[in-house]
Amino acid sequence: MRLIVHNMLTCNIKGVINKFPLRIEAEKVIKKEVDFNPDFLRHMLAKIEWKALVDGARSMGYTELPDHAPDTERVESDESFLKKFHHALLELHLEEGSLVCQETGRKFPVDKGVPNMVLREDEV
Amino acid sequence: MKATLAPSSLTSLLPRHNKLSSLRSPPSLRPPSSALMTTKTASRGSVAVTAAATSSSALREGIAEFYNETSGLWEEIWGDHMHHGFYDPDSSVQLSDSGHREAQIRMIEESLRFAGVTEEEEKKIKRVVDVGCGIGGSSRYIASKFGAECIGITLSPVQAKRANDLAASQSLSDKVSFQVADALEQPFEDGKFDLVWSMESGEHMPDKAKFVKELVRVAAPGGRIIIVTWCHRNLSQGEEALQPWEQNLLDRICKTFYLPAWCSTSDYVELLQSLSLQDIKCADWSENVAPFWPAVIRTALTWKGLVSLLRSGMKSIKGALTMPLMIEGYKKGVIKFGIITCQKPL
Repeated sequence: MRLIVHNMLTCNIKGVINKFPLRIEAEKVIKKEVDFNPDFLRHMLAKIEWKALVDGARSMGYTELPDHAPDTERVESDESFLKKFHHALLELHLEEGSLVCQETGRKFPVDKGVPNMVLREDEV
Repeated sequence: MKATLAPSSLTSLLPRHNKLSSLRSPPSLRPPSSALMTTKTASRGSVAVTAAATSSSALREGIAEFYNETSGLWEEIWGDHMHHGFYDPDSSVQLSDSGHREAQIRMIEESLRFAGVTEEEEKKIKRVVDVGCGIGGSSRYIASKFGAECIGITLSPVQAKRANDLAASQSLSDKVSFQVADALEQPFEDGKFDLVWSMESGEHMPDKAKFVKELVRVAAPGGRIIIVTWCHRNLSQGEEALQPWEQNLLDRICKTFYLPAWCSTSDYVELLQSLSLQDIKCADWSENVAPFWPAVIRTALTWKGLVSLLRSGMKSIKGALTMPLMIEGYKKGVIKFGIITCQKPL
């Protein structure tokens, strides 16, 4: 699971208010290279919840992201930032671990890189 | 663990103007739908849906196990699209393998076209969800075509892993990813997706109302929803339910393929209407998919097919034995292949 996906996932247990983001407990993280595409990244920047990305990256062992994303005008020219963003968003894979609901503590397992978000009967 | 799929209760969708109930509320008999299918909106009326009395988690596990077991076999013989091909009606030409694969791709293209996704509209589609994604054929195709980000969900861990691996091998990992999740409880915030895609997964949903509500919830304002699914025929004026022999046929198919409930295309239209969707369109593509099951059976009966089936296990074998029932269902007009599309208001 990459952080681009983690940035979309919520806990959908009935009654939970604080659904997003899910805290990451990483057991195995691997890095897979992905082609650098600045246009795609600039487009994604507007859609990403930045704090969730930073915290998620930290949980996976990557601490290079700034606490705040630079302004869109500065991003155009800031290739060093884009490369860090690219790496965090697309190249870090959580292979084994859990996504934890901040409100209930419920752990959604990540197995072979695939999160399992299926709820139990009593959670629906 | 097998899901028990004896449909023993009639459970209904609430009539228009009311909030739609899920199967968890006590089943009640309702007056039937008298909607006739047209290419625009169906006439209104309350609807009846036949549902299987089964525990949801047993059904989910059954579906997951079914696809865990059969996906590899399917992919080996048919490739990465786990849906019907779209054929010209009356085409009697016996197609090659690649002809069928082209037909499967044509199904995606025809569905997008039917939904009104023109070249101009394509540019607006940045995020797609593939609900019941299989091994990701549609997701990868659409992500490549639109340059959009695509997230797929399936109940089968085997499928999700395979889908991710295929994406990686096609250098699409940045654009597509696959998760194990329940279409009835999608793990996404509201309004995230410009295109909500459900290609032949609706059949597996025990609660059509909930299924449709989730599709609508995760659609972005202005976003499109495309549902392509197996349905039963629309009920005629005054008809309470399908004929017993028709129901019996569907029951036999249900058990093997883990299809807990059948409804008609009109039922879907009614649901979408009740949720105030716009530009609701539907069509019967049964004639356009007619060559598909005979072709699947032919491939199953090849030496390679038989050996692979035997290797795959009981679920696959039972699935293969059930395929003639699908043909019977289509021939007798009980089973319909329907497409329903709409747009979420801005």
